[in-house]
Amino acid sequence: MRRILAAGVLLVLLVGVFVVRLVDIQVVRAAALNEQADEVRSTEPIPVFGTRGDIVDRNGTVLADSVMRYDVALSPKNAKKGPVAREEPDPADPSKKIRVEVPLEQTAAELGEVVGLTGDQVLGIITAALAENPDSDFEYVAKTIDVDTYEKVRALDIPWVVQYPHPSRSYPNGAVAGNLLGFVDFDGAPGAGLELGEDECLASENGEVTFIPSLEDWVEIPGTEVVHKQAKDGGTLKLTIDSDLQWEVQRIAEAQRLALGAEWATVTVMEAKTGKLLAVADVPTVDPNAPSETAEADRGSRTFTAPFEPGSTFKAVTAASVIDDGKANPLSQVMAGYSYDAPNGANFRDSFYHDDMPYTLTGALIDSSNTATAMFGEQMSDQVRFEYMQKFGFGAVSEVGFPAEESGDLNGGPEEWDNQTKYTTMFGQGLTTTAIQIASAYQTIANGGVRMPVQLVESCTDAEGEVTETKQEGSRVISEKAADETSQMLEQVYTKGWLKDQWNIPGYRVAAKTGTAQVPDGNGGYRKEYLVSVSGFAPADDPEFVVSVSYMNAVKMNSSAASAPVFQQVMSQVLKKYRTIPSGAPAPDLPATW
Amino acid sequence: MTALPIHGAPAPARRRAWVPEVLRPVPDGATRPKPRLAYAVIAISGVVVIALAQLLLSIAVTQGAYEIDGYETSRATLSREQQKLSEDLDRVQSPQYLAKNAEALGMVPNTNPVFLRLSDGAVLGQPASAGAAAAASAALVPNALIDGVPLVTEQQAGETAPGGGQGAAVGAPAAEAAVPPPPPASESLPTPTTH
Repeated sequence: MRRILAAGVLLVLLVGVFVVRLVDIQVVRAAALNEQADEVRSTEPIPVFGTRGDIVDRNGTVLADSVMRYDVALSPKNAKKGPVAREEPDPADPSKKIRVEVPLEQTAAELGEVVGLTGDQVLGIITAALAENPDSDFEYVAKTIDVDTYEKVRALDIPWVVQYPHPSRSYPNGAVAGNLLGFVDFDGAPGAGLELGEDECLASENGEVTFIPSLEDWVEIPGTEVVHKQAKDGGTLKLTIDSDLQWEVQRIAEAQRLALGAEWATVTVMEAKTGKLLAVADVPTVDPNAPSETAEADRGSRTFTAPFEPGSTFKAVTAASVIDDGKANPLSQVMAGYSYDAPNGANFRDSFYHDDMPYTLTGALIDSSNTATAMFGEQMSDQVRFEYMQKFGFGAVSEVGFPAEESGDLNGGPEEWDNQTKYTTMFGQGLTTTAIQIASAYQTIANGGVRMPVQLVESCTDAEGEVTETKQEGSRVISEKAADETSQMLEQVYTKGWLKDQWNIPGYRVAAKTGTAQVPDGNGGYRKEYLVSVSGFAPADDPEFVVSVSYMNAVKMNSSAASAPVFQQVMSQVLKKYRTIPSGAPAPDLPATW
Repeated sequence: MTALPIHGAPAPARRRAWVPEVLRPVPDGATRPKPRLAYAVIAISGVVVIALAQLLLSIAVTQGAYEIDGYETSRATLSREQQKLSEDLDRVQSPQYLAKNAEALGMVPNTNPVFLRLSDGAVLGQPASAGAAAAASAALVPNALIDGVPLVTEQQAGETAPGGGQGAAVGAPAAEAAVPPPPPASESLPTPTTH
């Protein structure tokens, strides 16, 4: 009986020991032991590349996509060890292969030819690396080579050359929308533009896996792959831009910029009813495939980042505000001279000499008279006028939120304006705006007084297919009647203004206004250069498109005649491209004088 | 109670009678049925079969690993090929390339939009002929990707050249064909014969 008991106790103890050991290994120390085992048997963590999202235009044309490039590296130490053996067809009997010794010079020359270096340059890399460190085992020969070159290097089969995948970015349409897209740097970090601003949508995450390979040929043993981190693809960013139109607009803008010797130019095309941007051209243009070939200052989008004093294009805003405030209508009358001494002591002149003119508000816009515009503008209080400016979107960054976008400067407001500024702000001097704000203000007038948020991004579709659309509500700035009347006045500017022959688009009713603005020198004075601009929309009877053109310092022609042909060509192209039906009747006539 | 008298008397006698029965020796081993050999064979062959199956399975799985590896390699090659081709396609469908080709063929843009309404044949807009050739657009909107991609006019030269002769002859026809023959300007369009 005792023996049985002893045996039983022994058995229980033994089983107990095993159980304790089992729990210890399988549960308590499991993680540590697994790690230890993996260290011995597994591969190093292998990166799994997540794909950065594409940027596409409104029709799905790819503007930016991710491609795989390769970096070529060599081992200087092993390269110096001597010739490499290679199998080549026997010259005597082509069906057989013989082993030949290939000397380093020949291998280097072959490698160099493929990656675009001379053999001596490749040898130079090897010697330089060895001079620095006799045990040098790693040196880059070429970076971000394309697939063709990768395969050629592979075909050479040089034992001391390795190639590493290097996810990279390609912009198939080159400079089309280049200033908007921005670019990514060598390490894949976004550097500018939408690549930077919309990185949240586009960014991908690289994952990591390990597996247990066979020792012989590095083949993965089934079921041994461990995903340490799941790779995540980026989302697709869809823009409101139309790449074909964008190309054409950039072509027109750049051709004229070169003809005029202008410093820079921007052209914006916007849908009048939605506030969506169809084209935003900034010239000089950057080709994101080779950003370093463009001067650093020209790589961004000046449409968003370069505020300027708008000049006379701003008179349309003043006119619309005055009408909406009930202080005037298109036929209201003033007697305006060449020079005006305002009641508060401010003094300013028109850009051309004229005797006292009996201007209507329409006439003030047609002749772009500063004095007449001011006489209408002063009929409303500065505070109300300032509030209209803000409602039109001035003094604040647009809804696009482009990287480094500027808000423009309204110089504080009526309390901080000096007497001169109180008047100059009526005709667009003494305040700064961005090109996008001017386009947005004209969109408000074109859209019956409702300002739509400026929109550059249509949607973001993440890797799982979930779509996030940019949706914003419009806001009423002026009444429909005020907008229509302003639009009719701008039509008169188009049909009767001094550029009427240069910007004529046969068959369409167009509303437009020019501007020739002095450029502040930053010290309270003005430079002798001008910023010449035209903004307008068509067809005026049912506005569909807003086009805004600005040229900075057009050396060969410092007047808005420089930007008018661009407005004409761009607007024609837009109307043609979107099959806009020509207007039936001509614009109703409004008298310019009384 | 009725049970008591029955238990009382016969109990001692019964106990005496049972004792030899209780202490009877265990029946002899010879009488127990012999374990059958079949069971052992079944058990052992079961183990062998399982071991064999596992061996075969793992061989199959390992063989599969090489197959998978082969497919993975060819997948990588094919996806490289695909990337190469799609990059080529992107290049040739970029607006810069199309414009360069159109210009090489002598086309110019007409900035004057005119429409023909199909319902009543009305011409909307005022027709005007295209102006003189616009400046070459290539430099205006650069694209580093299409550098060195031959234009359609050059490709035609390249395709026709090998037919005539190899080597030295290739250069000359390419230069000639790069300039497309001027279209007959004054002649009317060729009229197809219809019935």
